[in-house]
Amino acid sequence: MNRNNFWINFCIAVVLITSAAILGQIGRWQSMLHKNMADFSTKSTPKPITVKRSEAESEPEVLVKFRSNVNLAEIKKIAAKNNDRVEDEIESVKGLVAIDDLDNADTKKVAAQYAQMSDFVAYAEPVFEVKLDDPVTNSPQDLLLRENDANTVLPNDPMFKDQWALNNVGQNGGKAKADLNALNAWLKTQGSSDVVVAVLDSGVDYTHPDLVANMWIRPDNIPQYRDDELGTFNDLHGFNAADNQSDPMDDNGHGTHCAGIIGAEGDNDEGIAGINWKVEIMPLKFMGRGGFGTTKDAIEAINYAIERKRAGVNVKVINASWGSTMYSKALEDAIRAAGEEGILFVAAAGNNSTNNDKQPHYPSNYKLPNVISVAALDRNDQLASFSNYGVNTVHVAAPGKDILSTWLNDGYREASGTSMATPYVAGVAALVLASEPKLSMEKLRERVLQSVDKLDSLNGKVESGGRINAAKALGE
Amino acid sequence: MSFSKDSAVQRAKTDLAERLSISEDEIKTVSATEKDFPDMSLGAPVDDEMSAQMISSGWQINLSANGKNYEYRADKYQLRLRGDNGTNYVIES
Repeated sequence: MNRNNFWINFCIAVVLITSAAILGQIGRWQSMLHKNMADFSTKSTPKPITVKRSEAESEPEVLVKFRSNVNLAEIKKIAAKNNDRVEDEIESVKGLVAIDDLDNADTKKVAAQYAQMSDFVAYAEPVFEVKLDDPVTNSPQDLLLRENDANTVLPNDPMFKDQWALNNVGQNGGKAKADLNALNAWLKTQGSSDVVVAVLDSGVDYTHPDLVANMWIRPDNIPQYRDDELGTFNDLHGFNAADNQSDPMDDNGHGTHCAGIIGAEGDNDEGIAGINWKVEIMPLKFMGRGGFGTTKDAIEAINYAIERKRAGVNVKVINASWGSTMYSKALEDAIRAAGEEGILFVAAAGNNSTNNDKQPHYPSNYKLPNVISVAALDRNDQLASFSNYGVNTVHVAAPGKDILSTWLNDGYREASGTSMATPYVAGVAALVLASEPKLSMEKLRERVLQSVDKLDSLNGKVESGGRINAAKALGE
Repeated sequence: MSFSKDSAVQRAKTDLAERLSISEDEIKTVSATEKDFPDMSLGAPVDDEMSAQMISSGWQINLSANGKNYEYRADKYQLRLRGDNGTNYVIES
């Protein structure tokens, strides 16, 4: 190797070594960069953190609104005393907290327990689980209860949610609480099979599955009905004055509808609930398939009810969801005679949108001490457009539009009319009698009329100025 | 007997022809429309009749003959003629 070649080779070696060193460093830098990028990437998209909740951290079960004089510390003390825990304070509503019951007791019972502490608690209600595929309107149990209703018992009848007259929560555009206040009434009584309500109508389908348990059947100790002129009737289910026979089977549907409003069996997993879950319905048929009948047959049927009362049947109320503008002194006298036997006579005010003070409608217009005349309301507490009225002749109003009740062929349907309002009043009267069986007819009438919810819409329209309230009638 | 709208119109025509002693061909159907009536006597009660106070669906049938109009009311179980002077007639039930 000559001297010149040595220096050339030396320079090449230095360049190669330096290059290798630089490349090695670059590789390390690249490796570090990749590692840092990977770390960064991992940190920017963290995996979900799943924390298993302990039993003590379970979901809140009741919502309780404490009164304004109770502070959070006191609320926590009250909760702790009940072996509960305040899960959350709902800041937007003063005093409202979500409470977790550590005992995992029934939520309705827990809510009721808090509701009873009325000195401290405004209201309490269970937390309802809402599922996307399970709308809250699917079953009665899903109904949203109103304030202070947490300790009520809902019947399990599947169509109860559609019975706005009994529990109006605003369904189908209605006004919440424009109802009979049935839930609170049922806290005191759900009716009694000792009370007999006669449905003077087109008969009743006494085999309907929602009525059959509440139909009157002549007891063995009551003799068959005997009329000197008409003969003897084996009146097992009531009486049929339209055909002069004992079988009062309904072939129209109207009487069956009225009967269901008064006393479709409640909490039986079937159809609807009557305002009375338990009662005895005595069908008195005087109208035929078309839904009309004669005053004579109506009188015959009233006569039957009076005679049965005298024979020992506890007939206390007659429901009369019918009428006409024709005055009949004989019908008036028959109704008076029923009153003298202590039978309340509840009558429809009529559907002509007219003033009964000026254009009388009978039998509702008879000025007798046992008659209650009934106007109809819609689901917004307004007088129904069809309803008759009269501040001197119509006494009270009740729900009567879009009323769901029993019908022929084991069916159900909605119907409208003062026909539908009347059995709600008759039914509330029966409910009061279930609670106070010794109440006189006069006191019963007074009770029903004086326990109304006054409504602006009825001012100057009906004598009492209000809608009947079952709970108030029972003193709840 | 159970009426449809068409059979109620036909029965009303037959009734009016008999009342006026004219041929059914001389009677014109002005209208036959579904209607809600205030009660089960279709708002056309006859003397000594009490009816269920439930809003009831049926047909209002307006016929004309000899330059005069006549109103019948029907549902599936009945046919009534509504009289001008407040006197109504049950044609079939």
